[in-house]
Amino acid sequence: MKIEIELTHSPIVPGFAPAPNGGQGAVVEFSGVVRGEEHGKPISALEYEAYPEMAEHQIRRLLDSLALRHTCLAARVVHRLGIVPVGQLAIYLGVAARHRAEGIALLAEFMDRLKQDVPIWKRRALAIPPLMPLSDGSSKAPATIPRKALSLDAAMAEIQSRCVALPGVRRPLADCVGHVLRENVIAPGDWPAFDCSTRDGYAVRVDDPGPEYQVVDTIHAAGWKPRQLQLGEAVRVATGAAMPCRGLRVVMQEHVERRGDRVHRVTMEEARNIRLQGEEKKAGETLLAPGTRLRSGALALLATAGCARPLVSPRLRVAHFTIGDELVAPDQTPGPGQVRDSNSMLLRGLLQGFPHDLEQVRLPEDLGAAWIALASCEVGRADVILISGGASVGDKDFTRELLERLGFEISFAQVNVRPGKPLIFGVQGSRVAFGLPGNPLAHWVCFHFAVAMALARLTGGSVPRFLPGRMAVRLEDAPVPRETLWPARLEISDGAWLIRPLPWASSGDVTCLAEADVLLRKPANTGTLEAGLAVEFLPAEARLGRLF
Amino acid sequence: MIVRFFAHLKDVTGCDAAEVRVAMPVTGDELWELLLKQHPALANHRANVRMAQNWEYADATTRFADGDEVALIPPVSGG
Repeated sequence: MKIEIELTHSPIVPGFAPAPNGGQGAVVEFSGVVRGEEHGKPISALEYEAYPEMAEHQIRRLLDSLALRHTCLAARVVHRLGIVPVGQLAIYLGVAARHRAEGIALLAEFMDRLKQDVPIWKRRALAIPPLMPLSDGSSKAPATIPRKALSLDAAMAEIQSRCVALPGVRRPLADCVGHVLRENVIAPGDWPAFDCSTRDGYAVRVDDPGPEYQVVDTIHAAGWKPRQLQLGEAVRVATGAAMPCRGLRVVMQEHVERRGDRVHRVTMEEARNIRLQGEEKKAGETLLAPGTRLRSGALALLATAGCARPLVSPRLRVAHFTIGDELVAPDQTPGPGQVRDSNSMLLRGLLQGFPHDLEQVRLPEDLGAAWIALASCEVGRADVILISGGASVGDKDFTRELLERLGFEISFAQVNVRPGKPLIFGVQGSRVAFGLPGNPLAHWVCFHFAVAMALARLTGGSVPRFLPGRMAVRLEDAPVPRETLWPARLEISDGAWLIRPLPWASSGDVTCLAEADVLLRKPANTGTLEAGLAVEFLPAEARLGRLF
Repeated sequence: MIVRFFAHLKDVTGCDAAEVRVAMPVTGDELWELLLKQHPALANHRANVRMAQNWEYADATTRFADGDEVALIPPVSGG
């Protein structure tokens, strides 16, 4: 028997192609539809889950064993997974047989056995969410939303002004990596707290010409023995040891000859070999200012200062939704018309520069079902909502309507930039949302000039800005009426930043992303950029830490 | 071996799989005991859960060894 099995997150297309040999006399079909109630309560959708490998194996096994008793020619089984709205198909089964009796018998028995043995579950029933009124009847007139595309600068300025820093929290120092400091940290005392030796050697008075000294004591790194040294006296000290009194220098042990408790300086040396008390910081001086992103060095400084629970930016709560029925997971083989979802991975990587908790959810490409799914997620908690439109969604009103239903005010829905023009930015109180155009390169570009700007503002850190560089090579391109943010590599030559643009043809390009570490800004209506030309660039994720 | 969890067992364990190391093949009961050490909350569900080994339902004679793909299958509800 010819068997076709499909487990899909997309709406089921029922149907059964007749076998070419013409041997069949009956095609028996069954469609299972999601009912509008479950256990007597009205519902809007069911969510299905499967153990896909085993489910497919068990379905095949079941059909093969049933075919031994009910001779059939072919079967097609499709089961929907994920959120299935009321009225849509959850399962389709088509059977071709020589005679109807065999087909009907196999179909009936298969459905009974499927409900016993095939590892697919109704995960939950989704209640009907309260529908938030759309902007039609409310005070927020849709006319206030700019239909015109904003310039790149205007869009960045708009995001910068609409995003406010979230309240700081005190966290254990060990959990502060990458967070932004939100308080002024001052030196609690002089650094170093005492004069200390930077060498193994002999502490003597700075006004003692030597060269003969009597060794009167020994001080190790951890110990301290106060003592007023007299002329002609020396104290043996280890590196890091506290000086017995002020006004001393250290003669390196390599520069003396020791006989018993006497030392004789054989080499004259200028260096004092002492770190003086307060030399690095005086008590009350600022160690770190608010806005500092805490990386290893800053963390070490806070540890030294005894700042064990600094006030820092909170972990951002990010919800990322992907729309696109054509998308499959990276471990799946795309069927005809399908592609693997790269944006989820891309965003996961890009977000690494900002401490966060991420929830990633696939949304059905159906406004009603997507809204149900969104409303039943914990998006209410998220500080940042990112929606990746699938390429096939095309119409950006889909994302926009979702955001409006969630109560976001749409600030802009287009930016005059290539790629990434259909970028949507919405605000609701301190929360922000972006609708990102579906293509990976557009995602990458929009993240750096828009999402990173918002994240930087929410954390209270410094924001992305364009830096000056020069073209490493000539870039041939036709003039376009939009600014372009071109994926490029940064090189450093003779102390100058050189920008080497990477080849890309469409916003669907992924290959250049693996190499790109800056975004070259190519002005609107400008054609070819000559080598050596002064240009601006925006550092990308890999260089965020260093350059902004 | 990896033991995969599905449906509400994911909520019970808070994860979708557990790794269990065995030096030699073990029975289903023995595997349950090892699993319960990691996830005691599974005990309440044991009576209703079937074990699967490499996409087939296990029976009393099944022995589970390192390298098997094992799954706990709660009552199914597809269709």
